[in-house]
Amino acid sequence: MSSFLNSRCLFAAVVLATLAGCANDPAPVEQMKLTEKALEQAKAVGAGEDQAELQAAQAKFAQARSDMTSESFKSARMNAEQAELDARLAEAQVLTAKSEEQITQLNTRLNRLRKQLGESQ
Amino acid sequence: MNRFPRALSVCLLLGSAGLYGCAGQQSNDQALQQASADFQKVKEDTDVLRSAPKDVIRAGELLGKAERLSSYLGTGNDVTHYAYLSRRYSEIAREHSNLLLNTERLAKMEMDRQRLQLALRESKLASAQEHGRWLEDQIVSLATTQTERGLVMTLGDVLFDTGHTELKSSANRTVLKVVQFLQLNPKRVVRIEGYTDNVGDKQENLQLSKDRAQSVADVLTDLGIDDKRIQVQGYGDQFPVSANAAERGRAQNRRVEIVFSDAEGRLGPDR
Repeated sequence: MSSFLNSRCLFAAVVLATLAGCANDPAPVEQMKLTEKALEQAKAVGAGEDQAELQAAQAKFAQARSDMTSESFKSARMNAEQAELDARLAEAQVLTAKSEEQITQLNTRLNRLRKQLGESQ
Repeated sequence: MNRFPRALSVCLLLGSAGLYGCAGQQSNDQALQQASADFQKVKEDTDVLRSAPKDVIRAGELLGKAERLSSYLGTGNDVTHYAYLSRRYSEIAREHSNLLLNTERLAKMEMDRQRLQLALRESKLASAQEHGRWLEDQIVSLATTQTERGLVMTLGDVLFDTGHTELKSSANRTVLKVVQFLQLNPKRVVRIEGYTDNVGDKQENLQLSKDRAQSVADVLTDLGIDDKRIQVQGYGDQFPVSANAAERGRAQNRRVEIVFSDAEGRLGPDR
C-alpha cells in the first residue's frame, strides 16, 4: 500500500518537474527582433496610431519587453508572436486602403474622360 | 479512519481541477471554432489561395497545432494563443488577396485611361482640324508673352461660361497646343494660375479662380500630361492686368494663365 502511494508521489513529482521544465522557455531573442521589424515596417508604410491592430501590436510588444526583463520567457514569446502578426495585419490593411484610394482617384479620372468624350462626339 | 477524509479531499481537488478545465475548455473551444471558421473561408477562396498561399498554409498549420494542444490537459492559454495566430494569418491572407485584386484592377483601369486619352486627343484634334486652324502650330504665336515669370500663355474669359469652371470646347485648339508643346518638351513643367475680376465676394472669387485653373489642369492630365508636371494656383482678384473699372478691363482680368518653366523644368516662384 505504502509503496503504491510512494510511486504515485514519484509520478506526481515527475509530472510537476516536466511542467516546470516546460514553463522554463528559452529567451525568445529572435522573435523579439522579428516583431520589432514587423512594427517598424508597418509604421514605414504609414500604419497609424488610430489602427486598432497597430495599437494591439505596440501594447503586446511593450508587454513582451517587460516579460523579457522579468524573465517570463514564455509570456514574452507569446506576446511577441501575437504582436508580430498584429503589426503585419496593420501593414497589409494600410496597403489595401491605399490601393483602394488609388482606384477611387483613377475612377474619377476615367469618368471625367468618358464625360469629355461623350460631349465632344 | 484516516483514509476517508483523504479520499474526500482528493475528490474535491479533482472536482475543482475539472471545473477549472471546463472554464478553460470553453474559451479554447470558442477560439478554435473562430479560427477554424476563418480558415475555412480563406481556404475556399481561390483568390486568396492564389495570392497568399503561404499565409493560408501558416493559418492551417497553426490551427492544427491549436487543435492538437486542445486535446491535452494543462496546456493553459496555448490553445487560444495558436488559434489567435491562425486567425491573424487568415486575415493577413485576405488582405494580401484584396491588395492583389486591387492592383490587377488598377492595371486594367490604367489601360482604359490610356485608351480614352488617345481617343480624346484624336477627337479634339479632329474638331480643331474641322475649324481649319490647326496649321499654325507654334505655341509662341498663341497669346504667349515672355515675362519675368517666364513664358506665359493667357486663356481668356471667353473660354469659360460665366460662373462655370469647365473649359469650353472652343479652348480645344489652345489646350492641344499646350499638350503638344509639353510632349515635345518633356522636362518642362507648368503652373496654371487662375484670376478673376473684383466683382463679387473675395472668397468666392478665390475659389472660382482655383477651380478654373484646376479644370485646365484636369484637361491637360486627361490628355496625357503627368499631373506631377502641373501646379495649380488660384489668385482671385489679385494681380489685375487691366483696370477693373470698365467691363473690358474686367473681362481681361478674368483669365487663366499658364506659366511655362524653362527647358530644365525650373519654374519662376509663385507670385
